[in-house]
Formats: sequence, C-alpha cells, structure tokens
Amino acid sequence: MAHDHNSKEKVVYVGDSRVKKYKKNNVPLDYSAYPGNSEAFVPNFLLKEWMVGSVFLVGFMILTMSHPSPLGYPADPTKTDFVPIPDWYFLFLYQLLKYPYTSDAFVVLGTLVLPGLLFGGLMLAPFLDTGKERRWYKRPIASSLMFLSLFAIVFLTMVSWQGYQHELEELNIIPEHIERAEKLEAGLEVPGGKEEEPVAIVNKESEGYDIYQKSSCISCHAADLNGAVGPTLLGIGDKYSKEEITDIIINGFGNRMGPQLQQNLDAGLTEADLDTLAVWLAEQKAPAGEEAPEEVTDTK
Amino acid sequence: MLKSVYNWIDERLDITPMWRDVADHEVPEHVNPAHHFSAFVYCFGGLTFFITVIQILSGMFLTMYYVDDIVNAYKSVDYLQHKVAFGVIVRGMHHWGASLVIVMMFLHTLRVFFTGSYKAPREMNWIVGMLIFFVMLGLGFTGYLLPWDNKAYFATQVGIQIAASVPILGQYIETFLQGGEIVGAQTLTRFFALHVFFLPGALLALLGGHFFMIRKQGISGPL
Amino acid sequence: MQDHNKEKQSHGKPVKRREMSRRQFLSYTLGGTGGFMMSLPLIANLRFAVDPLLQPKAESDWVKVIEVEKVTDTPTSVNFEKNVVDGWYESDKGFGAWITKEANGDIFALSPICKHLGCTVEWEKNVNYPNEYFCPCHAARYTRDGKNLAVAPAPLDEYEVKVENGFVYLSQIKPNTRVE
Repeated sequence: MAHDHNSKEKVVYVGDSRVKKYKKNNVPLDYSAYPGNSEAFVPNFLLKEWMVGSVFLVGFMILTMSHPSPLGYPADPTKTDFVPIPDWYFLFLYQLLKYPYTSDAFVVLGTLVLPGLLFGGLMLAPFLDTGKERRWYKRPIASSLMFLSLFAIVFLTMVSWQGYQHELEELNIIPEHIERAEKLEAGLEVPGGKEEEPVAIVNKESEGYDIYQKSSCISCHAADLNGAVGPTLLGIGDKYSKEEITDIIINGFGNRMGPQLQQNLDAGLTEADLDTLAVWLAEQKAPAGEEAPEEVTDTK
Repeated sequence: MLKSVYNWIDERLDITPMWRDVADHEVPEHVNPAHHFSAFVYCFGGLTFFITVIQILSGMFLTMYYVDDIVNAYKSVDYLQHKVAFGVIVRGMHHWGASLVIVMMFLHTLRVFFTGSYKAPREMNWIVGMLIFFVMLGLGFTGYLLPWDNKAYFATQVGIQIAASVPILGQYIETFLQGGEIVGAQTLTRFFALHVFFLPGALLALLGGHFFMIRKQGISGPL
Repeated sequence: MQDHNKEKQSHGKPVKRREMSRRQFLSYTLGGTGGFMMSLPLIANLRFAVDPLLQPKAESDWVKVIEVEKVTDTPTSVNFEKNVVDGWYESDKGFGAWITKEANGDIFALSPICKHLGCTVEWEKNVNYPNEYFCPCHAARYTRDGKNLAVAPAPLDEYEVKVENGFVYLSQIKPNTRVE
C-alpha cells in the first residue's frame, strides 16, 4: 500500500496518537535520590525479598517432594464409619461446635454468632481501634483481644486434633490416606486408577454360607459379603487366618465391632457352627495371582 | 535489538512511566531485612503472593488431567499423581501450598495488626485484605472436595451441614452449595467451578486492589 | 418546539428548566442501556446457578413393599430397591424397613439404620432384650416405636407410609414422629 501524501486532504489520521513525543527518562534514580537508608524497589529491595523467597521455595519444595499429597480411597457415600475431619485451618471452627453452648439448641451461637463476632470484629478493626497509637503494647484492648483470639484458636485446634487422634485410636482406624500410602509402598495396591475386580464369594454351597446368613454378621457385612456398615468380607481369607477370624468373632474388632459370640449363640447358632463359619470365611481368598502386585510397571 | 524493540513499543504506548513508578519507588529502611533482621516480618505479604502465584500455576496445570465428575475425579487425581511424570510434585505444590498460603496470610495479617498498619488512612486496604482472607478460605474449602476421596467427601458433608444450620437461609445455602439434595455429582461440578473460576476471579480482582492501594499509599511508617 | 423558540428569543433571563438536562438524559440512558446489557446475561446465568433451589423436592416414588394382611403388631422386615437420582447419575439403591401395625390398624415403618453409627438394627435380635430393636455393633436398643433406649443418640427414622389396594407403599425417610 503506497501512501500518497495528498496535501489537499484536511485530516490525516495515520501517525496520529495521544502519546506525546518527549525525551523519555529511562534512567533509574540516582542512589543519592533516596534519603537515609531507603533504597529503590528494583533492583535493590526486590533482590533481598527474592533471597528470602528462594530460601522459602527450597523449604517448600523439600516439603513437597518428601511428603506426597495424601489421597485416600474413592468417596463412598454409603460408608458410615468414616471419621470426618476438615482441613487443619478449619479445625478450630469445627471444635467450637462441640461445646454445650454452641451445639444443639445453641448451634447458631457456634456457627454464626461467635465466628461472626470474630471475623466481623477483625474486619472492622480500623473503625473500632481508632486511636493514633500504633504500637501494640500501647493498644491494650485491641492487642489483648487479638491475643485472646489467637490463644483460643490455637487451643481449639489442638483439642480438635487430639480428639481426632483419640477417636481414631479408640475406633482402631488408620486414616485412609495413610493406609493407602502404606499399601502403595508395600506394593499391595496399584496406583493410577486401575479398576479393581470384585472378588467373588468362594464356595457358596458350603454350610458356612448358610450359617453366615443366619448370623449377626450380615447386619453389617451384608448378605453378599460385600460390606455395608462393616467392611467387605470378600477376600477376607487373604488377610486373616481361621484363628484370627474366630478371635474377631468372639472378641470383636477394636471399637468398630462389638463381640458377636453371645448374640449368635442366643440366636440359635452353636460354637461348632461358628467354627464352620470361620473356616468358610478363611477360605474367602481372591483367585491366585490377583493380589500379587503387577509386574514392575514403569511409573516414570 | 531488544532495546530497539522496547523503544519502538514505548514510542507508541509510553509504557516507561508505568513501570518506572513501581521500580523506582523508595523502600524505607524499617522494612528492609538487610538493615534490621526483625524486618523479615514485612516479607510475609510478598511470600503469600509468591505461593499464590505457585497455586495459580500448579492449579492451571492440574486441570490438564483433572476431571470434575464423581466417577472419574478420584481416578484422574490418582492417575496424575502416580502415573504422570512430576505428578507428585505438581499436586504436592498445590496441596501443601494451600496450607502454606493460609499460614503466610495469617502471619501477614498478624504483622499488619500488631504494627497497627491498618489504621487511617489504610482502612480500605485492611478490609480488602480481610476479603482476600475469606476468598482464600473459600478456595481451601472448595478445593478440599475435588480429589473426591472419603476424607474430602465427608469433610464437605460436615461443612455443608454446618452452613445449613444457619437460621432461615441455611437450607438454601445447603441446596445451593450441593446443587441438589445430596453431596454428589452436582456438588463436585459446582465446587470445581467455584474453585477454578469464581473464587480465583474474585481473588485476582481483590489482589489488584490490594496492590494498587499499597502502591498509592506507600507502606506504613516505622513504629 | 414553540416554547423552545420563545426561550431562544428571550436572551437576558436565565432559563429555568424543569425537564432534565441533555447530559442527565444521556447519563440515565447510558445507565439504562448498561443495566440492560448486564442484566439479560446475568438473569440467565443466575437462574441457571440457583436452579437446584427452585427444583421441587424430589418426591421419591412410592414403592410397593408388602401386603397389608402380612403386617402384624410384630415388626416385619422388608427389603426393596429405590431409584436414586444424582444429577446425571441414576442408580438403584437397596433399602430396608421394619413394618408394624398399631392397635388401631395404622401401619408405620421404621428405617433399620442405627442412629449410633449406622449399622443395621433387627427386631428381637438379642434374646436378652425381647420386644426391642437391637443393634449388634454396639448394643444400641430401641422400642417398637423406635425410641432410643441405649447407646444411640436419637430415635430410629421413619418412612412415609401409605396403604393402597391392600398393599403397603413406602416413600422417603423422615425423622421419627412417634417419639417425643
């Protein structure tokens, strides 16, 4: 496109702009321009900040690489024995709801009023604390309220975490992400979203199967052994021997399952029946080879 | 070469004053850890921003593998962590970064509080900062559900139940967050949308305001 | 128009106008147009987002479970399947219920899910506790009406029940209404 500059044209848009032509000053300020010990943001100060940032990043990456992120088992809404726990920074709010005046009839105090006061107060701090003084020890009310809240938050978080740990111990539960990480480590499980083949019931014609249907087991482990409240019993023989199963029937399993012997005797089963049942349950194994870890798969 | 490219652009758009203002502004001694070691407390805000950048980056890359559907969410997370090269690191950065960003933001808030830096004329910046805090907590809450394992599922269920106990509005909040009557497929897609589009959008806008105000007003003076 | 012309002619006096100025008019129009441009997309999007709130509560279907004659004053266990819809996922889920007839002939159905930790309760499961529901997991007990006697924090849930053509139909689970 040739541009013929026709001087007869009144308006020439090409070349027009609101940006004025002037001598650009692209030279940084001289150091003498900064009074006292202050310095330019770029590069002087930013370099120092990035030094801190680099050290921080190294620590962060070490944490990241040494602790793989937790991942449990796929969400199963029908699971009822799971102990829910929020992320750690919500623990104090979670714990707050467990006290008499913040639960049941007063739950609004715990969910709305107290957090509302806390966060509302924090939000409006500049309008509540309007004095000229900035030092924290010269603002006793603001500072002591903050210290009190801090103490409360730390305290509630700790109580909540200890309560969680205690509950796990009492219920004899290993958190799923830890359980799974250990299994992955031991090669008992294959990562990467492999579909698990359900294990079939072994020897359904056995007398043990009939006894199972009459026993108290089915109210938690379901008639098809696939588990409901209790875990699945399919393939249980890979995990426990006949003796161990008998022990679990008699003594229960931690706090997750009460002793079952007396109830089943009351229900008309005999100890011999339970023995047959334990033998049958111990036979519940996955077909050979299925449990073995896959041949070294290249995960990299 | 680069310089002439820069000059060519600058001639047309006059970009020099924009970044010169940021680059040349004076940083006082009392926030400089090289002068007073205790001034490291003034780094918390910058570090919070640094992790936020890491979060945004790792989050963007995670969505290359992640699927927000109840059947596939868990599998995709499991896959990207174990089968994809550097998956442990990328997911790890996002997972641990989520906790660290809260820690750093908390420390930054405490620094601002105890140095009384929120006082006039910086009230607005404090409020914007608190809003950023809430958005971050929202990001934490919505992000927790996405791996769709039992921990995620039941924590979210409890969280939504807590929100549901708010008088009058509670049940509407519950249905809105769940996208239905149970925590299920529609909850996951909702939380994903909130986590990836709505909340980060709000966060970026608030961060823009936060930085604009600190640049305009300058850092609070020495105690 | 005539007024306008008159005003033009009378120069000296300041013009008193009741009507809005040109600038005001344009500003209002701009505001209106802007509002229009934002509101249409917003209305569509917001309605889209709050749709779950405006959906009628999914009335779960009535499921035929048992003949009326078979229901006695001793709780009877029934199992049935119900269709559960979660967005674009539909599945059949198994449910259970204990159905009992009252002295006046009314029929009620209790959910067998223990309110303690969600195990399954059973009528007279334990010989030591006749005429009670018993949960084998932690020995929670309930009366025939579902009132919690031990361990459990709340009474058993109840199903909505209707009787039609000699059959008992069950619908959704609701909190127990038989126990104070």
